[in-house]
Amino acid sequence: MGEVFDLQLVNTALRQATPLMLAALGGLMSERTGVINIGLEGKILMGAFAGAYGALITGSPWVGLGSAVLVGLLFALLHAVATQEFKTDHVVSGVAINLLALGLSTYLFRQLILPREERGLSSVVRGFEPFRAGWLEHVPILGALLKDQTWLVLFAVVLPFALFWLLNHTRWGLRVYAVGNDAVKARTMGVPVKKIRYLGVLLSGVFAGMAGAFLTLASADQFRENMSAGRGFIALAALIFGRWHPLGAAGAAFGFGFFEALQMRLQGQPLFGLQLPTDLLLMLPYLPTVIALAGSFGRMKPPSDLGNP
Amino acid sequence: MTQTWLRWLLNALIGAGVLFGTLTLLIALAGQPIGASYRILLQGAIGFPPSEQLTPLDAWDGVLHDMTLLLLTGLSVGLALQAGLFNIGAAGQLLVGALVAAWLGTKQGIPTSIHLPLTLLAGALAGALWALMPALLKVWRGAHEVITTIMFNYIALYLTHWLVVEYLKDPASDAPQTAPVLASAQLPPLGSFIATSWGIALAAGIALLLWAILYRAVWGYETRATGANRDAADAAGVPTRRRIVEAMLLAGAFAGLAGAIEVCGSQYRFFEGFPSEYGFDGIAVALMGANHPAWTILTAFALGALRNGTYNLHVVTGAPKEIAMIVQAALILYVAALRLRRGRLEG
Repeated sequence: MGEVFDLQLVNTALRQATPLMLAALGGLMSERTGVINIGLEGKILMGAFAGAYGALITGSPWVGLGSAVLVGLLFALLHAVATQEFKTDHVVSGVAINLLALGLSTYLFRQLILPREERGLSSVVRGFEPFRAGWLEHVPILGALLKDQTWLVLFAVVLPFALFWLLNHTRWGLRVYAVGNDAVKARTMGVPVKKIRYLGVLLSGVFAGMAGAFLTLASADQFRENMSAGRGFIALAALIFGRWHPLGAAGAAFGFGFFEALQMRLQGQPLFGLQLPTDLLLMLPYLPTVIALAGSFGRMKPPSDLGNP
Repeated sequence: MTQTWLRWLLNALIGAGVLFGTLTLLIALAGQPIGASYRILLQGAIGFPPSEQLTPLDAWDGVLHDMTLLLLTGLSVGLALQAGLFNIGAAGQLLVGALVAAWLGTKQGIPTSIHLPLTLLAGALAGALWALMPALLKVWRGAHEVITTIMFNYIALYLTHWLVVEYLKDPASDAPQTAPVLASAQLPPLGSFIATSWGIALAAGIALLLWAILYRAVWGYETRATGANRDAADAAGVPTRRRIVEAMLLAGAFAGLAGAIEVCGSQYRFFEGFPSEYGFDGIAVALMGANHPAWTILTAFALGALRNGTYNLHVVTGAPKEIAMIVQAALILYVAALRLRRGRLEG
């Protein structure tokens, strides 16, 4: 037992949870304004590709991050235009965006990154260096949690609190609440509904793009086909389980990150003297997601105007 | 009347523009010559103009093979949508159906006369069971089926891989694959001239049957009413929960059958990396076919031709084979913006 559950596991959980937290908060920004966002997965995947490619050709993780955010924004814009201007069904648009991202990222990977490998160039990305916490590293527990983390992890931890404050204490936050709960009433009250929704959807692109960049710039060191592996949907489940609340969503995302960390730990380490098969362990992040969704009933309170044009 | 036709024609023309625009752009970005690429694409899609590498019969076989799977996964997604559910889980349901079919198809001692129907039925049943959980979670717990079916796709991926490596591996081979299914469980080809199995006829028959049920039977009417407006259907006394679960079970069965047909009529075994992406292609097939079984036959054929054409382009020139998926996504967006103007899911 002692070997499986320790502070290092929580440290890994924090790292695994970071993309989930970022994506879940992105989804939150979109869904609180009433726009369903099934397309998180695609934005993560495109962000992962753009992050890897940007960093690969310039050697700078910052350029990678910038490209990932930009691509996330573009895909979010596509969703915003489809749902707001063409009144496309939100779920259908999101699913199409996911397919587009899966096809396009693999297509670009084959066109831009694989030929480099064939020429003998490395496709390994120079990502972000671990964050130096200074004296904080010597604080018990906190030091162990911060060990070898990148600043993106810190950002993901601070973000839910920042959003919580912004949503509850600013005019913009009140407007988001109004638009998400009754867009018609908000419009008659003079709230620029469309603008608020565009901003919400675009923010989801920024955060989901960052989540993708985290995968290639701070977690794995290269892009692989479909490497988002369902994280966008797990983030959506976290958003629902966390009742569309920034702290709740981030907390739930951390929970799912913990299962991912546990999965990694149990590969090659027996639990109660029993080595679980690799494939069954790989199911670990997905099964709790289903169970969490099944258990969310009655506590679910989506923004009441969610999905309406 | 003339106006509707003009509108229809205009929409179709823009749709063709989206299709060929995206296709041309992707071919150009892949660094391939446009004219020659379209020639290769057409050779794969319709077997014309004749080429040396790919005979027309081979091309038609490829298209009909893809059409079989696309039709069944398209019916799967389309039927679920008729009931108001978005089944993104056809890929997982297909995998589970394929594995169960490969398991039963390799079993000795089953009377030869019923071996094949039993194997196909088992595949369909497995797919249905795989769809049951998301359906129940939807009606009982309100869990969003898009998320749960995606999660079940990943679970199916690892579960089938585990089973094929640990329990069902062909002892005669080192590869992670099952033994070939017995001759008694194989779907025969349509004729000596073409390799496509009778699975295509089975799929087309199911499409016609579903058309009749959806538009001529009370069950179909109630299911469509549930999808169109669940509250109104509830108020009218339709057992909407039952209809949703039943539609989802059938949807899973179609996808599972697609997997079983792929095993019994084409691959003859289950293996690591079994092609499950047909489940996602089914989304474009269903949406472009307006979730209507008859139109779905046409879109399955058209997208089967597109898939086979781009695959031929991939084989001949090395252009990425994801071109088909990107074009499909563009088409879904276009069709969705067109038909779902008022934010409704049904066609």
